[in-house]
Amino acid sequence: MSSNIVEVKNFQIGFNDKIIIKDLSFEVRKGEIFGLLGSNGSGKTTTMRTLLGFYQPTKGEILVDGKKYNPEDAEVTVGYLPEERGLYRKENVIDTMVYFGELKGLKNPREWSEKYLKRVGLEDKLNERVEKLSGGQQQKIQLGITIMCNPKLLILDEPTKGFDPINRHLLMDIIEEHHQKGAAIIMITHYMDEVERLCDRALLLKDGVAKAYGTIPEIKKKFHGKSLDQIFVDVYGGRDE
Amino acid sequence: MNNHTFKVMKFEIMRQLKKPAFWAATLLLPLLIGGIYLISFLSSQNVNKDPTLSEDIKIAITDEAGVFSENTPFVIKGDKEQGIEMIKNGEVKLYYYIPKDFAETKKAEFYHVSEGLDLFNNDNKILKSLLLNDASTKVSDLDRLALTGNFEITDYKLDKNGENENALGKAIIPFAIGIIFFLFIALCGNRFLLNVVEEKENRISEMILTSISAKHLIVGKIFALMVLGIIQILVVVIPILILIFINRDQPFISNILSQIEVDGLSITLGIILFVVSSIFYAGTCTFVGSLTSTAKDASSFIGPAIIMMVIPLYFMQMFMMSDPNFAVQFMTYFPFTAPIALMLRSGFGTISTPEYIIGIIVVAVSAVIMIRLAVRTFQKNAINFGSPRLRLRRKR
Repeated sequence: MSSNIVEVKNFQIGFNDKIIIKDLSFEVRKGEIFGLLGSNGSGKTTTMRTLLGFYQPTKGEILVDGKKYNPEDAEVTVGYLPEERGLYRKENVIDTMVYFGELKGLKNPREWSEKYLKRVGLEDKLNERVEKLSGGQQQKIQLGITIMCNPKLLILDEPTKGFDPINRHLLMDIIEEHHQKGAAIIMITHYMDEVERLCDRALLLKDGVAKAYGTIPEIKKKFHGKSLDQIFVDVYGGRDE
Repeated sequence: MNNHTFKVMKFEIMRQLKKPAFWAATLLLPLLIGGIYLISFLSSQNVNKDPTLSEDIKIAITDEAGVFSENTPFVIKGDKEQGIEMIKNGEVKLYYYIPKDFAETKKAEFYHVSEGLDLFNNDNKILKSLLLNDASTKVSDLDRLALTGNFEITDYKLDKNGENENALGKAIIPFAIGIIFFLFIALCGNRFLLNVVEEKENRISEMILTSISAKHLIVGKIFALMVLGIIQILVVVIPILILIFINRDQPFISNILSQIEVDGLSITLGIILFVVSSIFYAGTCTFVGSLTSTAKDASSFIGPAIIMMVIPLYFMQMFMMSDPNFAVQFMTYFPFTAPIALMLRSGFGTISTPEYIIGIIVVAVSAVIMIRLAVRTFQKNAINFGSPRLRLRRKR
């Protein structure tokens, strides 16, 4: 049995004759927190969207637990917090969460949702329309939907974007909790302090090419012991060559 | 039905039923129909009064030609000037002058006070009616029947085989199904269109498609909207049926009801056609909705599809011909025009059962293709959040 939950093999993809990702290969191990790093447009989100089946690779393959991902017959449950955030704006908070809970196969979706909303301080917003919530509050709802059913693979695309420090802390607690339960977590982020603190391994993407890949100490070693922040500036400022 | 499809259906139905806008749109049509019925009912109360029997209408007639029998009410001794004076004084409302040479000229004169634009004034009929009544008192019973036309004719229409044909009775149910389909398009079209656009506009498609496949999402949505459409149609149709039931003794309605011919095969095929046509239409709207990113774009793209669907109505006369020409044949089997073309030909009785079944199969297959296209397109465009632009030339 493979120790990898995600395997990206010689993955290549392009749109309108423009190649976005070039021959990318990496693995995400079961139970680890993996940082997928890169500046805007480097191909991080495209890679995750291909993993989830929204795009088809031009070459190579992306496998989740040894298979192409299909939400309805995947043995591994996947929770995805996308970069593009949205909910049914006109619906109640609780109805939206219960709907997603039912789709994901949660046993008591209402009970679970009420408990989660209480935890994130939104218990009084239960019957509120989603559109009446602030951006941060909506993000908490989306995070709740993402972690339903204790997914074995959590993909979080810039999860802390728009959160204040308190809620960032709360989010980190939730991520850590799922990590403790054995979930593998792929974090797409620009915050290098989060990567240093949370991630076991990381991949640095630039223009669809892996510039660094390995454990955090390995990456630091490759860049002569520099901080991840400095490495990021060097790579994306063009001083890595 | 797949469990996921059912969950999507339940959610979509419940969220629509909770919206006041849904009920406002649903109840608007029956209220409009009820309003129109009430207005026409109240108007008919005034218009349908037989003017000859009305005691409110004061009439005077100068009969110089001696058409009327002696001692006929309304006939005055005075001349035309006196009659006109009676109108001016308000003594009478209507005044007729029948000149001496009436038999040669066949012309009489009618005086009354103008009450605006009397385009549909029936008061001219009064003289004719009075003359007819008067004349009928002078002849035999049979002649009176002939004069007044106060008898019934039972209409026996025979088909080519000499069998009794009830064309109107046969047409009622197919046309009723056609009207219901038309209502379905009118009531649900926009919702079908916007339902998948909503996922993209709200940027929720990525989250939802990691929980459920596009196929189950789209099929669940289509079935949910079909159920909602049926609810809306029932809200419209049930009051109409109640009105028909209340007025079942009215000559016009009882005449139609008595003629309705219930042909099991035709009704079954009509219902199947309605179902597959509705699914085809829903699939088309969903396909267009999944192609575009915004409601505005979707609305402008669906126009041609709706126009194609109703085109057969503009050529209705062609569908009455028992020998269909090429255009009728084409519209019968072209998926976009087939639903209404088949309903029209079935109503007019100008389509054979095998042709009807082939037409239904064409629509059913097209519906499946359309739903598959909608699923594929939605899956491909699910994360196309921007507004698409029509590119006429390929970018180099």
